Amino acid sequence: MTSKSDRSSFYTMGVDSGSLTGKAVIIDGNRQIVSHSVKQLGFVSQKAVMMAIDDALEKAGLALEDITYTVSTGYGRKRLEIAGKNLTEISCHAKGANYLYPEVKTVIDIGGQDSKVIAVDPSGNVKNFAMNDKCAAGTGQFLEVLARALDVELTEIGALSLQSDADIKISSMCTTFAESEVISLVAEGHTTVDILSGMHKAISGRMKGLVGRVGMQQPVMMTGGGAKNIGLVKALEKTLGVSIFIPDEPQIIGALGAALFANDFATGIRKKVEEEQDLDKSRVPAKDCASCSVQNFQLNKN
Amino acid sequence: MAVQEAKRANRLKSGKLVNKLVNEYWEDLINAKKTGKKVVYTTGLPIGPFMAAQDMAWIHGEGYGARVAARHEEKEPQTFAENKGFNRELCSYARTQMGCAMFAELGVPDDLNPGPIATEIPAPDAIVTCYPGCSTGPQWDWAIERVFGKKIPWFNVVIPYHMGRNGSTYMKGEEFEENVKYVVRQFEDLIKFLEVVSGKPYNWDKFQELMGVTKKVGKLRMEAMELCKAKPAPASFFDWSIQIAPVNYLTAWPGTVEAMQAVKDEVQERLDNGVSAVPNEKYRIFWEGIMNWNKLGWMADKFASYDATVVAGRYTHMAFWHEPDTIDPEHPLRGIAINHLECQLNLGYPITEERMMTLSKDYSIDGIVFHGARTCRSFSRSHFLLAENLNKKMGIQSTSFEGDMVDDSFYKEELVNTRIEALIESLEAQKSRG
Ligand code: SF4
Repeated sequence: MTSKSDRSSFYTMGVDSGSLTGKAVIIDGNRQIVSHSVKQLGFVSQKAVMMAIDDALEKAGLALEDITYTVSTGYGRKRLEIAGKNLTEISCHAKGANYLYPEVKTVIDIGGQDSKVIAVDPSGNVKNFAMNDKCAAGTGQFLEVLARALDVELTEIGALSLQSDADIKISSMCTTFAESEVISLVAEGHTTVDILSGMHKAISGRMKGLVGRVGMQQPVMMTGGGAKNIGLVKALEKTLGVSIFIPDEPQIIGALGAALFANDFATGIRKKVEEEQDLDKSRVPAKDCASCSVQNFQLNKN
Repeated sequence: MAVQEAKRANRLKSGKLVNKLVNEYWEDLINAKKTGKKVVYTTGLPIGPFMAAQDMAWIHGEGYGARVAARHEEKEPQTFAENKGFNRELCSYARTQMGCAMFAELGVPDDLNPGPIATEIPAPDAIVTCYPGCSTGPQWDWAIERVFGKKIPWFNVVIPYHMGRNGSTYMKGEEFEENVKYVVRQFEDLIKFLEVVSGKPYNWDKFQELMGVTKKVGKLRMEAMELCKAKPAPASFFDWSIQIAPVNYLTAWPGTVEAMQAVKDEVQERLDNGVSAVPNEKYRIFWEGIMNWNKLGWMADKFASYDATVVAGRYTHMAFWHEPDTIDPEHPLRGIAINHLECQLNLGYPITEERMMTLSKDYSIDGIVFHGARTCRSFSRSHFLLAENLNKKMGIQSTSFEGDMVDDSFYKEELVNTRIEALIESLEAQKSRG
């Protein structure tokens, strides 16, 4: 592959090694998205991460050595050797959300292992955040386990749940107890769509508490895989009483934020290198002097 | 941005002195029956001096659980207790001690291979419960009695919750005064109970002497901790956790004054020489929740890696003879009652919030870590409310993670990492905003 990099243009990459998916985003020196990729395999799969990286590189027409700096995020962030730094999803989702929608004040991410609400400042920094308290209560895993109990594909639960107008309550947020609650609802004859709708309401109620902890400020954006679940989004909008902005590719927001951080770091490094190069140009060779061993000296231009 | 380098916490060296006292105490306990001493099982607050005055040995259930865990021997007794029907969601201290008690009483099953500490527990001659703010304690002791399958003399000191009714605040008000009197009356009865169990009149002189020691150690500890209001802090919450034994089950044990004096001297010396608990303190953290004993070193180094000092905590700074000036060794019962009534687990929400706000101000706290112990509901109550209100009232950010006191199967290490790192990143962003 031919290298596209030159001294005036550089590329950085953000990699999100999530609990269920691997995501990669490449941006150029002007902070424009060049390519992105989302791959799903097993739990915190390194293979999925590497596939996402290769795919994003191929789409961009770049080789790994063309990437000036990489930042990793997500649960597997520390295992990615090519990353110069790793940061949590909290910081990366805030940064990515702010890039796409600079006015955004609240970011909601319902991830595989935890759910979080982030208050974002106008520069894309985290002002405050709150995460689910115990185990998998109110997370993507909760939905996954219950979808399995109902024998429904995870990708279908959102649209299916919208068909319901029943008011089913799932009171337990412990995944284990909720699973038995779902099984007993099935035994009582409730339909799958009604139970799915009840599950989304249960998570929304839980998220309302988290939103309350950081303080609800509009506009609100939802990021991560949970944002692809239309049933969950609608239930959240109803519970919170707000409309929620969903980006085109909600799953890549963490990786995008990481790529932006990588750009910040790379810019800082490049600036330092350029300053050093400027300093080099200012070195003036010393005149030969027989009585002195000093061969050259530095002169600061200014 | 928060970058984790392998930095290590600079733990107090004098902390090791406590190990010697702990070993002496266990040696004495294990041999108690041989030396003709009665053994009293206790749970909850540090009430050792009541028994020590009568030359009786005592086992503090939580202290025992923590000791077994610190020696990494907790898995076998916990498994045994679970096999016998004590659910995994029950207090892990209780499960650990129950398992050990069952090893002693029922024998060790072939498929388990417990360590020496876990099988050395002597049987109880009496039980004294003294639990604040948790209903598990009395039930735990009840279950202990059932394990031994006989009627064991049992005294339960009821520590009423200090709600903060009718304007009663920390150590003030009608509710507080009534509670103190109520607990003092129970202590008077406890002394009569111990006279019966020991078969001799109560040794008040010894008791007063021991409470004099308790007051001294309590004062030295509080003074040493207060030196850590300095920036950077010369010692951390993790040092104070290690120093819990001399003010908990080792209360008034011979050598505790000297050990705590050595700790205070070392803290002062560090302060004089500019030595800090973490190499490059940038953030100051408050630890809300009970300690997780099998993760202590890991946690201490983790925070050090982020240039963060955990300077204070509800567990260490709001209990364990934290009000030593209230103890009058000549008339010790009122002071003991005050220290026990006003401890971290026994305060109503408004009082808890006020105490935490005061400590956060005094120790210049930037962020709070909430440790939600899975099997200690008592310590995890009001975490959300505290997080919300301390943020609203003082702008302090926080994070929470799930763990446990002595059952490390409840940890998901990467979840803990992410939550702590997220707080540090967020504090860094806050600092850069100015
Ligand atoms: S649940 Fe907590 S407060 Fe209650 S006995 Fe156990 S450790 Fe103590």
